[in-house]
Amino acid sequence: MITLNHYLALSALLFCIGLFGALAKRNAIAILMGIELMLNAVNINLVAFNFFLDPSRVVGQVFAIFVVVVAAAEVAVALALVINIYRRFQDSSVTDLNWMKW
Amino acid sequence: MADLHLLAVEIMVAVFGLGLLVLGLLVPRSDRRGIGYVTAAGLAGIMVITFAMRELSGVFMGGYIIDPFSNYFKLAFLVAALLTVFCSFDYIEKMGFNQGEYYALLVFATLGMMLLASSGELISLYLGLELMTITFCILAGFHLRDPKSGEAGVKYILLGAMSSAILLYGLSLVYGATGTVVIAEIGQVAAASGSTPALTLGMIFLLAGFAFKIAAVPFHMWSPDVYEGAPTPVTAYLSVASKAAAFAALIRVFFGALAELHSIWVQLFIALAVLTIILGNLVAIPQSNIKRLMAYSSISQAGYLLLGIVSYSVLGIGAVMYYCLIYVFGNMCVFMAVTAFYNNAGSDEIRDYTGLSRRSPLLAAAILFAMLSLAGIPPMAGFVAKLYLFMSVISQGYIWLALIAVLMSMVSVYYYLMVAKSMYLGAVPEGSKPLQISPGLKVAILASLLILFVLGIYPDDLTNFAMNSAVTFFMP
Amino acid sequence: MQDYGIVLIFLLGGAATAIGALFVNWLVRPKRPAVGDKLEAYECGLPTEGPTWVQFKVSYFLYALVFLLFDVEAIFLFPWAVRFQALGLFAFVEMIIFIVILVIGLWYAWKEGALKWL
Repeated sequence: MITLNHYLALSALLFCIGLFGALAKRNAIAILMGIELMLNAVNINLVAFNFFLDPSRVVGQVFAIFVVVVAAAEVAVALALVINIYRRFQDSSVTDLNWMKW
Repeated sequence: MADLHLLAVEIMVAVFGLGLLVLGLLVPRSDRRGIGYVTAAGLAGIMVITFAMRELSGVFMGGYIIDPFSNYFKLAFLVAALLTVFCSFDYIEKMGFNQGEYYALLVFATLGMMLLASSGELISLYLGLELMTITFCILAGFHLRDPKSGEAGVKYILLGAMSSAILLYGLSLVYGATGTVVIAEIGQVAAASGSTPALTLGMIFLLAGFAFKIAAVPFHMWSPDVYEGAPTPVTAYLSVASKAAAFAALIRVFFGALAELHSIWVQLFIALAVLTIILGNLVAIPQSNIKRLMAYSSISQAGYLLLGIVSYSVLGIGAVMYYCLIYVFGNMCVFMAVTAFYNNAGSDEIRDYTGLSRRSPLLAAAILFAMLSLAGIPPMAGFVAKLYLFMSVISQGYIWLALIAVLMSMVSVYYYLMVAKSMYLGAVPEGSKPLQISPGLKVAILASLLILFVLGIYPDDLTNFAMNSAVTFFMP
Repeated sequence: MQDYGIVLIFLLGGAATAIGALFVNWLVRPKRPAVGDKLEAYECGLPTEGPTWVQFKVSYFLYALVFLLFDVEAIFLFPWAVRFQALGLFAFVEMIIFIVILVIGLWYAWKEGALKWL
């Protein structure tokens, strides 16, 4: 039997992996992937809470839909900005972004 | 049918933004300077309508709150947006930006802030926050040929997205702990159940996410780089309005939904406030770039604003509201002058400001008086605003906190006056010409200086309004 | 408190088993340096010819972004379509407005040349 706690543990793990990836990676694309993992952890949380606590109202699922859409917009903008930098320097590592003090 | 008239302002802003986007496509490239004037006129019109509707209050579909508090903040955002547009005319023409996009994005950012200030439930709060953050990322990286601007955009979106994810995890935990996303209902459920571990954990995640958005130490790393790299008008708007919007949402969430946990979060906010005030002011001293200096100065301003949150009282919220508006005028005034200087001299370094008082007395006076207001010297409005904030923490017994804040205000006077010293006592550089400033910008600078003086001498009407709006947060 | 003690023992036991197994492996395995065929990719298809980091046209990326955005926005249409009868006219008008906004976005992408095949 899979309970709410299993889902929460999964999402907490996923969130930590994503956070670690976002903090430890030096490549902008890899950081974005870490952030996506964090957002997916949130989605698991929302849908699991919705299913186990209050299945009659779909608030959590609606929230998850909004998260998915906003995440897509965020990634589109981030990729565009990274590509813009990449075109100039042929590199997407954030350690090289040091015109100003990092 | 819902009460759509409550949303009048938001709908107008959204339609206006879309209209600007379309206008930018239809107008030939050579005539696009006009779009700036259209934006200014439109924002001014919406501002007048918002002001006329300031008494409007109600709740739209149970989750979108229109009250004096949100109307006050919306007016502040519109004022900031209008001043930013005045700031932008020459700057972006020089940069060769696609102007339709630029102004449309400014308007959409304003819309995001309005959503944030009015949101009564977590989904619209998140949407508003993201609308604001994402548009600011695009604006920060708008200057495609400048590597600094691109870097600012990438840094802002990576850190902004990460902080949003952290905040969102907190929101999901709060939803799980209480089973609802409506802020008022969360407050009721939390009051009935007391503080549960899930709710406390969610609160901590929320606090970290909001601290990122308001650039409180130790979550401030992004702000100096983004402020320095972004186009100057964008920096101006980012530093004032996004901070005010984040504070509005923070007050809604922490005073509305998480009031039950206030004994815990007040402690955390005290730590944030002390760190922010001390570090922001001390690190500002050695800065040599004026935009970076203003970045650290605005970090420390966020610290002062946190004092109002710490006090957890009507006086505190009222003081935060008043301070936000004064901060809008003060900071925008400095940034308008910085933009005007950049348009002429092409530099943001403080050493190039030497002898500015003889090249352009208006710009020098604007920077001097606006900085005095930011530092909190009477008779400028900043003094009254800081006084209220300090009074609010003293009334709760945190005298040591007020002492630190006053001490650090003295430090801030030092670095503001270093700029003034270079402007007034420094030698005029060889072969420099008097500066050309467009009449629109001149009027905007003079108007905001005037407001800073007037509000410093007659603050009563505004503070009374702010205090009356703040009362709603403490009604059962 | 006792329950947590059991968890702790489990954790320690689990970690010890894993580390122990690795350690024994390390102890008994033959130690030969990696030379020659040992460095080849093992049954992973043909060896690559030329540099593997080739560039492909960045313009594909633009279509991908535009596609991604419009694809994901469609997510809002599904719940509305499922409950179309129950939601009624107000939701219908709302959706029309939503689609009009999307169309403005598409038009914008078109005019700015994001859809031009290069």
